[in-house]
Amino acid sequence: MTADILLQVLVSGLLIGLIYALVAVGLTLIFGVMDIVNFAHGEFLMLGMYASFWAFALFHVDPVIALPFTALLLFAVGVIVYQTVIRRVLKAPMLSQIFATFGLMILLRGLAQFFWKPDHRLIPHSLVSGNIALGPVQFGLPQVVAALGAVGVTGALWFFLHRTRLGTALEATAIDREAATLMGIDGQKMFALAWGIGAACAGLAGGLIATFFPIFPEVGSNFILIAFVVVVLGGFGSVTGAFLAGIIVGLIEVLGGFLIGPEYKTAIVLSLLLIVLLVRPKGLMGKA
Amino acid sequence: MSNRTVLDPRKALGAVALLAFALLLPLGITDPSRLNFFILILMGAQLGVAWNIVGGYAGQVSLGHAVFYGIGAYTSTMLALSLGLSPWIGMLAGGLLAVVFSLAMGWPCFRLKGHYFAMATIAVAEIVQILVTNSEFLEGAVGLSLPLDRSGLAAMVFLSKLPYYYIILGLLVVTVLVAWAIERSHIGYYFRAIKDEPEAARALGVSLTRYKLIALSVSAFLTAVGGSFYAQKEMFIDPGSVFAGAMSIKIALVAILGGVGTLMGPVLGAVILITIEEYSRTLFGSTGSGTDMIIYAMMIILVAVFSPAGVMGLLQDLRRHLPGAGKTSETR
Amino acid sequence: MRFMVGKAKGHGSTTRRQAITRFVATAALMATTALTGLTFGSTGARAEDEIRIGVIYPLTGAAASTGVELKAAAELAAAMVNKEIAAPEGLTVAAGLPRLKGAKIKLIFGDHQGNPQVGATEAERLITSEKVVALTGAYFSNVTATASQVAERYGVPFLNAESSSASLTQRNFKWFFRTTPHDDLFVTNFFTFLEDMEKKTGKELRTLGLFNENTLWGNETTKLQVRLSDERKFKIAEKIIYPAKTTQMTSEVQRLKAANPAVIMQSSYLGDAILSMKTYKELGFSPSMLLANDAGFNDSEFLKTLGKDGEYIISREVWALDQAERNPLIKKVNDLMRERSGVNFNGNSARSFTGIAVLADALNRAGSTKPEDIRKALQETNIPGSGLIMPWKGIKFDANGQNELGQGIIVQVQGGQYVTVWPTEVATKPIVFPMPAWDKR
Repeated sequence: MTADILLQVLVSGLLIGLIYALVAVGLTLIFGVMDIVNFAHGEFLMLGMYASFWAFALFHVDPVIALPFTALLLFAVGVIVYQTVIRRVLKAPMLSQIFATFGLMILLRGLAQFFWKPDHRLIPHSLVSGNIALGPVQFGLPQVVAALGAVGVTGALWFFLHRTRLGTALEATAIDREAATLMGIDGQKMFALAWGIGAACAGLAGGLIATFFPIFPEVGSNFILIAFVVVVLGGFGSVTGAFLAGIIVGLIEVLGGFLIGPEYKTAIVLSLLLIVLLVRPKGLMGKA
Repeated sequence: MSNRTVLDPRKALGAVALLAFALLLPLGITDPSRLNFFILILMGAQLGVAWNIVGGYAGQVSLGHAVFYGIGAYTSTMLALSLGLSPWIGMLAGGLLAVVFSLAMGWPCFRLKGHYFAMATIAVAEIVQILVTNSEFLEGAVGLSLPLDRSGLAAMVFLSKLPYYYIILGLLVVTVLVAWAIERSHIGYYFRAIKDEPEAARALGVSLTRYKLIALSVSAFLTAVGGSFYAQKEMFIDPGSVFAGAMSIKIALVAILGGVGTLMGPVLGAVILITIEEYSRTLFGSTGSGTDMIIYAMMIILVAVFSPAGVMGLLQDLRRHLPGAGKTSETR
Repeated sequence: MRFMVGKAKGHGSTTRRQAITRFVATAALMATTALTGLTFGSTGARAEDEIRIGVIYPLTGAAASTGVELKAAAELAAAMVNKEIAAPEGLTVAAGLPRLKGAKIKLIFGDHQGNPQVGATEAERLITSEKVVALTGAYFSNVTATASQVAERYGVPFLNAESSSASLTQRNFKWFFRTTPHDDLFVTNFFTFLEDMEKKTGKELRTLGLFNENTLWGNETTKLQVRLSDERKFKIAEKIIYPAKTTQMTSEVQRLKAANPAVIMQSSYLGDAILSMKTYKELGFSPSMLLANDAGFNDSEFLKTLGKDGEYIISREVWALDQAERNPLIKKVNDLMRERSGVNFNGNSARSFTGIAVLADALNRAGSTKPEDIRKALQETNIPGSGLIMPWKGIKFDANGQNELGQGIIVQVQGGQYVTVWPTEVATKPIVFPMPAWDKR
């Protein structure tokens, strides 16, 4: 094995890892703010992919251009989901919450199949296509654009959480809900906001990968396990943790699959998760 | 102390009536597929009651129970195929292997709390599924088939559905009795203490890990027995069906739907969940439009939203609010 | 049960109004359950001259798109048998069911969701509640395994038209019949094809990269490929078994690239077939030949989704539209299919269509709907290739229920079409070899 190949593998791992990070930041934000694990998060990603697809198929809008629209749409979906379902199970035990988001997962898949058929789709010609070569390393342009987009969105989210009033309020709610309420922060509003932003992040990830990943109603199930791993590894509720963990998981998955065997790539990632948890039961950057 | 109350005669009578009903039920059914439907309910109920011991009473939410289910199914089948051992013995062997595995898994994982524990169980189950899928010894993804020709009680293979019905009914009764015994004993009391007031329990000298391990291993044993039964009934197992993540979720759903931490909740949950599942598929699945999934999902969401304590919770609320029934609802 | 659900907040504070809402919710749920239970399995009145055939496909879940396509093909065949649509002259189904006094067949569909247990449950329901006289399905080999076991127990014929796992017809079943050739034949064809290619091009094609998905099908295929490359002196440069449900395939493709075999033999379902092609392109990897094992690579949506990026792959098939040049029935039937459901036939749906045709033929010859008569008639099946839309010599079952006259063909994507390139006697176009590199297209 040459250094070139290793370098290529690491680059591929980094590119997919950044996508994982974007999917996971939304999931971890929702968890941090209200302690709910969203089993339907992969379905938000699926909806984002379909939003891009239909924008292209019906209006010939390139998925990259459609991104803001996708984000807005998914933000709305997140808020609606919160208002109709999640708000009602806020005080319920953890199990009922799992139950609710699990039901939501099946519902969104069923609706997608009902309205858009179970077909696999792909956006055929996108603004970004083709390859670039940097020395011995090949980059697929769609993958690079997706990864850069993921960095941009995660960066914007970080900026929002740390540099704006609304974001700081959200972050404060995530850190200590009761204290935040005492400070006069409207909890309900923050919760809805977290769902909106969380769904929008997943939707954006969907829109970004829609140029190279097949789109079908069950596509979320491919991503949800990895997203969970990233969230737990980073520490429930930590956006920075999820970002780092996403990159780590991407690198380990691709590298481990390459060195040990692709049939074990998921097992390798999961084992890493268990080992980290045993050493640090709260994940890499989890709140105490 | 609820765990020391004398057996309520009305409850006992209800239990006997229910059992009699279950025993006589097949007499009125001539259609094997309807009998199969009731078998599926009993299978779901058995798993739900078993899960409830650790997930409900002890409050340790496992979302990886398929790992025990799969161990049970694979152990009895492998023993039958390679040594010709009767699945009755294989069932016990599978249960014991699941206990060993649960101890090895629980020892480190019980350091984790809440969601972290749940995620760790998912991870363990997925890892085992991947290992089995790639194991030459266990025939990997190809799966194992039991031969049709060896039928009879010793081989636990029957051409008729009726014996399967009574076997799974028996397993369910045993599982419920175990859960009942735990609920009434000091172990059950500790379980609930671990769940509700872990710090207080620790302060009183209750070894949290020890009792969590007890809960997990009992639950694992009973789940594995259910897995062996599945293998005998379907006569074909593969990692994708017995170790599936969806199986783990379904086992938990049955208990949650019925009401976690209640003795008969999971049974009720299984009746409802399996009915909705089978019926929505039968009625709408053939359209290929996903309607069955939509109906199934709506039902789940409705229960979660309107009844966080499961259907048992609803029934209890109901009794509390019915005129004149307020007093009795407090007794067990 | 005082300890119920521990801190399930709200018990103490439940108001009467909430209780009423909840009561209504429970009542509704219970009522639905009860109704469901009552009607479950009951079947309404049905016409006397209606012959019910159970059809089990994956109609929801990850393979739903394929299942829906198979369903459309089966329905087309049934409509032809029932003379609702005029079938082209010469086709087996055109005969209808004269010996059953023009009775009509009715397909009762079951959804197995890709789950073997659900497959068995559906088979049982179709046999006992829906009173079907024969079963067909189930596309997935592992579901076919459990569903056909149920049929075997009940003594109902199970005709499998599209599962290719070799082990299915090695079980000594009495009631199981399979029209499609199985993987043994397909994989053997691969090697014969490669040897032919070597002779023709003078190029060495001896190093193989095996790239198969990790279920029953991919596993059995891998085993066969390993065995045959031993026997025929091929060298396996890399052997990869990958999980089908995946988010990235770069580790897989990197390994293949590092091993650099002359030929890649790949077995993938649709989603991973598309993703792998995208990854080949991303990493600029083009082997001189990509030899695919049907399934995802021949799904109607493979080319629709990938467009130009799907060009030049070579795949084993059992059917191709260009065979219409040799058999005019194919074009006629395909036109009817497109009219009805807007898509062309492909290898999977053409086989489903043929499955129903074979069942109808057997029913007619049996002149009865008794399972034993149908089984006998199936055993005596002898349909010539000219009555089929398959490039087969015909249909005739051996003692294990396997069709002896089936054949595989090998197709290549050229100009957005699957064209037959092997065996030479049925080929319509010369093969493009080697596969052009991504930047030279």
